[in-house]
Amino acid sequence: MIVRRPNLGLPRRVVTYHLLFCSIAIVWLVVGFLIVAHGVFSARSITACLSRLGKVTAAVELEYLRHAEHSIHSLLVRAKNESHFRYCALEGLDGTYLVHTDASLVGSKVEEHAGTELRWASISGTRYLDQEGNPIHEYRVPLSVGDRIIGALRVGVPEPSLFATVVDIGRVAPLVLLIPLGLVVCGALVLSRLTNSLSEIGRQLHQLATQPIGEPVQLQALELKDATSLGWNRAVAALERNTNGELRQSVQERLQNAVAERRVTQHAEILRSLPDGVALTDVEGRLTFVNRAVAALLGEELSEGADLASYLGNAGLEAIVNPEGTSTGAPVIGELQRPGKQSDRFIRVARSPVQLAHGAGQLWCLRDVTQQKLSDQMRDQFIDTATHELRTPLANIKAYAETLVTCETIDVEEQKEFCNIINSEVTRLARFVDDLLSISSIEMGALCIDRQRVDTFRMFTEVLDKIEPLMQQKQIAFTSELPEKLPELQLDKDKFVVVLVNLLGNAAKYTPAGGQVTFRVTIENSHLQCAVIDSGIGIEREELPKLFDKVFRSADPRVQEETGTGLGLSLAQEVVRMHRGVLTVESELNVGSTFTVTLPIEGAK
Amino acid sequence: MNKSVLIVDDNLALLRVTQFAMERAGFQTQTARNGRLALDLAKSTAFAAVITDQQMPEMTGIELSRALRALPEYRECPIFLLTAKGLELELSRLREDLGINGVFCKPFSPLAVVKAVEDSMMTCA
Repeated sequence: MIVRRPNLGLPRRVVTYHLLFCSIAIVWLVVGFLIVAHGVFSARSITACLSRLGKVTAAVELEYLRHAEHSIHSLLVRAKNESHFRYCALEGLDGTYLVHTDASLVGSKVEEHAGTELRWASISGTRYLDQEGNPIHEYRVPLSVGDRIIGALRVGVPEPSLFATVVDIGRVAPLVLLIPLGLVVCGALVLSRLTNSLSEIGRQLHQLATQPIGEPVQLQALELKDATSLGWNRAVAALERNTNGELRQSVQERLQNAVAERRVTQHAEILRSLPDGVALTDVEGRLTFVNRAVAALLGEELSEGADLASYLGNAGLEAIVNPEGTSTGAPVIGELQRPGKQSDRFIRVARSPVQLAHGAGQLWCLRDVTQQKLSDQMRDQFIDTATHELRTPLANIKAYAETLVTCETIDVEEQKEFCNIINSEVTRLARFVDDLLSISSIEMGALCIDRQRVDTFRMFTEVLDKIEPLMQQKQIAFTSELPEKLPELQLDKDKFVVVLVNLLGNAAKYTPAGGQVTFRVTIENSHLQCAVIDSGIGIEREELPKLFDKVFRSADPRVQEETGTGLGLSLAQEVVRMHRGVLTVESELNVGSTFTVTLPIEGAK
Repeated sequence: MNKSVLIVDDNLALLRVTQFAMERAGFQTQTARNGRLALDLAKSTAFAAVITDQQMPEMTGIELSRALRALPEYRECPIFLLTAKGLELELSRLREDLGINGVFCKPFSPLAVVKAVEDSMMTCA
């Protein structure tokens, strides 16, 4: 019943339980006490009875000796009244009452009551119920004068009742009952006080449990009494802080915040990962942001707070640092030269003023323009070469043509020679224009090859026919090593002949007179290899990676001496690549170079 | 009157045709394939004029001109420059610094060169 009424409150329930169990215990104790007390009282009253019975017996025997049985009646009546007997009687030997406190029964036959037999030494008795149902103890004591038995004394004593015991105990009840009851009540009060905080906490939690989900949680702080209430108050305060903070924001707001935060992180990460260096300095020129590329570009780790301007100034970029003239808002641009692994690197630094939330600053953008510089240099070199390559044959053609036209007296041999020169210069010019067109086709991805089944032996013969006069002219020992059996291949013959002539022509060009050039064709692992081996000037190790770049020409003066466009090798590589082959080079300066074209043989295993 | 002219060019064909034109005009000519050879030749022979290509291995036309001007006998000697460049060279600066008498951009007319040489000789004379 108590358990089913949770709204009763914890302390009340605790106190109620306490009182309930205490009451049961007290009742239990009281009943036990009564039972014990009753037993004690009964035993005591019987003992008192028996002792009085002894006295009465002695008095009756004495009276009998003196006055026979005549004055015994008054004695018995007196004994009955004094000792609260129900009755007192003298039984004669004939089985009739000689004397009885109830005069009507004198002379009548002694009635033997049915009941429980009692015996106390020489005293025997019976416990029986009278007409009203009250238990009566009847004791019989034999009377004797001298050795002669004169009869028996019969005494009826009412048994002490439980009520009588209660009445007796009633006198000590205040002491026995009130003190434990008082203690129980005290216990209840202490319990109630101890659980007072819990009661309030319990009430609030119960309220929380019954309210619909989603409603704002409202908990009140308690009056500060003990550690429990203090702890509760702190918990409530913490909950309130959370509720007033982010929890109070709606899901939408929190989502928006999360998205914004993610965007900011994303932007920061993008900035940090940019290949261009980005740095930000404050009014005092201290770095407030620097991305990873800056360190890579400058080759030095600059931490936030460092002075970027003076660092750049020290690195040789005073121009961008000194003038404050950024009032127009246009960026100030400077170029920084840093020593690199192979060659110097160029870094373009742009500084522009920027207005930030916390004040004016400078935004620095750093970009590696080495490649751009190189390509500018290459373009200049190419234009230079191209101009020379175009103008030289043109100059010859014009000079010879003009001479032919203006000179009236010129012999036929000379005329023929001049015409031949014009012719060969035109050829040279045409070849250069062809190369230029091919290169521009490569640039546009429009170079196409026309592959047909080609008898490679005939192709090589054609190449050798073209190249041998050149070798002889330059007094170079030229040998060609071709295998006996050569396969047919799917090739663009014209372009491939150009490639081989170009490689062999280069070998002739850059091998001094008296040197050696070998053209060796081998078949290995289903690949056809054409190697052009010379004992020429060789190529500097540093220049090897750039060798196939368009319009690259070695800085070696021995190369600069020769005419050339720097187009041949890049064109050759492209043609070989389009035949799914590779063009490789091995070279040692002043020892010689080997260019190898490796082509797959289709259909071969 | 000294009518010997030194012609310097690494391009044999152009050297040949220039030489041809000069000889037709009545000059005595000597040729050199590069600047260094030309300088050696100029030291042994006194030429009335020098025609040189600009772009040559070992020693460019301008370097040759500078070296010639350093020699006392060539301080006033007319020097003509043949070049495939043209725009990149500052003609006025060349005239002022080295006293180059004429610059001919390729393709040039051999007759114009002959005429310029003749004119310069007339002026000198």
